[in-house]
Amino acid sequence: MDILYLLIPLSAVLVLLIVGVFGWALHKGQFDDVEREGSRILENDPAAVDVDQSRPT
Amino acid sequence: MPLSSAAVLAKPVPDAPAAAASAPPGLAVLDDPVELRRFTRFSTTAAGEALADSSLRITGMHCAACAGLIEQAVARVDGVVEATVSAAGERARVHWQPQRARMADIVLAIRAAGYDATPDTALESRETRKLEHRQAVWRLFVASFCAMQVMMMATPSYVATGNELAPDLRQLLNWGSWLLSLPVMVFAAGPFFSGAWRSLRARRIGMDVPVALGVLVTFVASTGATFDPDGVFGHEVYFDSLTMFVSFLLAGRLLETRARHQVAQVLEATLSGMPETALRLDAQGHAEAVSVQRLVPGDRVRVPVGQAFPADGAVIEGATRADEALLTGESAPVAKPLGAAVVAGSVNLGAPVVMRVDRVGDDTRLEGIVALMRDAMSQRPSLARAADRWAAPFLWVVLVLAAGAAAVWSVIDPSRAVWVAVSVLIVTCPCALSLAAPSALLSAASALARRGVLLQRLDALEGLTQVDRIYFDKTGTVTDEHLQWSGLQRLDVPSGLPTLSDAQWLAQAAGLAGWSSHPLSKALVAAAGDGGPAAEASAWRDVQELPGQGLQALDGEGRRWRLGRTSFVGAADGVGAPSSLAGDSRAAVWLGVDGQALVRFDFDEALRPDARTAVDALRQRGLQVVLLSGDRPERAERMGQRLAVDRVIGGATPESKLSEVAAAQAGGLKVAMVGDGINDAPVLARADVSFAMGQGALVARAQADAVVVSSRLGDLVLAHDLAGRTMAVVRQNLWWAAAYNGVCIPLALAGWLPPWAAGLGMASSSLLVIGNSLRLAR
Repeated sequence: MDILYLLIPLSAVLVLLIVGVFGWALHKGQFDDVEREGSRILENDPAAVDVDQSRPT
Repeated sequence: MPLSSAAVLAKPVPDAPAAAASAPPGLAVLDDPVELRRFTRFSTTAAGEALADSSLRITGMHCAACAGLIEQAVARVDGVVEATVSAAGERARVHWQPQRARMADIVLAIRAAGYDATPDTALESRETRKLEHRQAVWRLFVASFCAMQVMMMATPSYVATGNELAPDLRQLLNWGSWLLSLPVMVFAAGPFFSGAWRSLRARRIGMDVPVALGVLVTFVASTGATFDPDGVFGHEVYFDSLTMFVSFLLAGRLLETRARHQVAQVLEATLSGMPETALRLDAQGHAEAVSVQRLVPGDRVRVPVGQAFPADGAVIEGATRADEALLTGESAPVAKPLGAAVVAGSVNLGAPVVMRVDRVGDDTRLEGIVALMRDAMSQRPSLARAADRWAAPFLWVVLVLAAGAAAVWSVIDPSRAVWVAVSVLIVTCPCALSLAAPSALLSAASALARRGVLLQRLDALEGLTQVDRIYFDKTGTVTDEHLQWSGLQRLDVPSGLPTLSDAQWLAQAAGLAGWSSHPLSKALVAAAGDGGPAAEASAWRDVQELPGQGLQALDGEGRRWRLGRTSFVGAADGVGAPSSLAGDSRAAVWLGVDGQALVRFDFDEALRPDARTAVDALRQRGLQVVLLSGDRPERAERMGQRLAVDRVIGGATPESKLSEVAAAQAGGLKVAMVGDGINDAPVLARADVSFAMGQGALVARAQADAVVVSSRLGDLVLAHDLAGRTMAVVRQNLWWAAAYNGVCIPLALAGWLPPWAAGLGMASSSLLVIGNSLRLAR
């Protein structure tokens, strides 16, 4: 059971990490408009990010 | 976009009049700097170019994918830097260069894409709300996520028996719990500490004070137990109960914030519209659409039919009738001959006129009533909240008990004195007490919102149960905008013309009216009932409708019948013109044959369908119902009889309405007010509880505790009943909290309360209270 002495502190640190990640996402506004993202695939393609994507295959 | 305006835009001249001319006159006003500044922020880029950031409200969006279409349409306008559309909020943010683009063209582009846009003047408050909501979610997440982990770490100490849990492992788990409780204490519970600090500084004790004290003592004692298990605080920790309690409270706060924001959103949705414009006449008599805010005394303004007068002033060309119902409560249109004074906010009904502007802005009658309302607000009796009433005695009892226990134990066994005092403070942590009222009020508010009654102040529910007298406004509150047939009068006619019974006359007129969709025609058809009109309608030939005049048709024998206004039907002016028209009815039409008027039909305001049943139900519940109307006394009296109210007060001005309510309050009565007009706003602000009808004036809705969006008066009865049930649930919750404390405190005082029982008791009492409150939401 010695592994618990590692796992318990690790879990506490992990929880704080997850809380931090969620806070970052929330304050970036990722949860402000949750309906829009689902239908983004229906929109026309935006301008290509790099040349490879815009080249016809 | 029209080609002409694109060509103009290519030129770098921003104020070319041609560009403004290409947009419809209503839109050109958007480019007026005065209006533009209300929904746009200007900035300058590093390169020295001006940049505008405008916020628009989009209508006509039916799915989330529409957002992309609008973005593309706006981005194609020359000069637009970036456009973002939020589908959920139905808003667009447009960054554009004022030198190259015009607001009118951006709105035109959105219209061309099949949607519509109006300026969104409430940007600031919505941004604040968004941040507030984010912050509330963030606090709740921190608290509840940490609480879950703390509970997992606490579980071993609950389930372990004997020596299964090694002391050093238990110690490690306690340290872990402490670490995860730290963000909850330092960050998530912040609002309670700051709230407690504020109320202490104001020298009164609200519910935040015992909450903050309980949370703080629990945390300090548990921290002591974690790092010094042999110290004065003992070795038991309560991090799990503590974090769970904080997350429950925060969840309640989040729901409360949401409910408040929802109401604010509904109010703003109606607030944002196209800027109000007025047709100002210049010296040559040319009309130009300008923003209402640009008007100055002395301007001449043309007011078309159906539009509101933009300012206080006088009619200088033409004569008309004006609907001043929202301002005065008077339901019948008021005649406005040449030279008559008109009031800003009243609606022109009769004919296009030209008015001279005498007073604008703060000097107008409208602003005067708003000032009266602000005054009334500051004199409003404050409602004591149930939970806050309990907070102070509760706190003192707990403190006295803890101090007493410490004193007694310091004699019996000084080593346990601190521990006993702390355990008293921990078990009395006012979980159930602080959740009792808010949880019940919130779930009742959500139940009401589903019915179409939006609460702006949750306390209103508590006030509603104490109300003794309820005042109703008449026009627009107990009546709706429709007219209904109220009677007919035969005119003196030469013999030889047809005479029929009343019912036959009505059927005859309704048959003709069936061809028209005019409101009065519809009222006639509705009055005649089913069957009659359909049978009669087929008998008419050559039916013609002349707008503004009436209907004419030939009957089977070839006689020309007319239904409409006096002059059209054939009554000479004054002949058969009812002297009682102004007193008895709002409108009338005449029916005649071959240029001879025969019968006059009168129309009156229609009661809302459920008005009578709602008044009866309220009176059955022991409330006095009073009709408080600005309309003429005899008219108010008649409506009062139809409604069977206890008392009728007619002819009331906003000032006398206010003094009537103030007098009732001075007599010790709790009063509620239901209204819709601007003239009701001062009373709505003053009354203990106030309801505004959904379609009423904005200023009235902004003042009211609750907005009846459904416009059903029956919902008032529902709200009253629900308020009663809510307060019963609050009382049950408070009793439960008292019972729990009554059992636990003696045990804690005696030093017999096992820590697991204290934790379990705290958790279960919170859950029980919340579960009890949720019954109201069904």
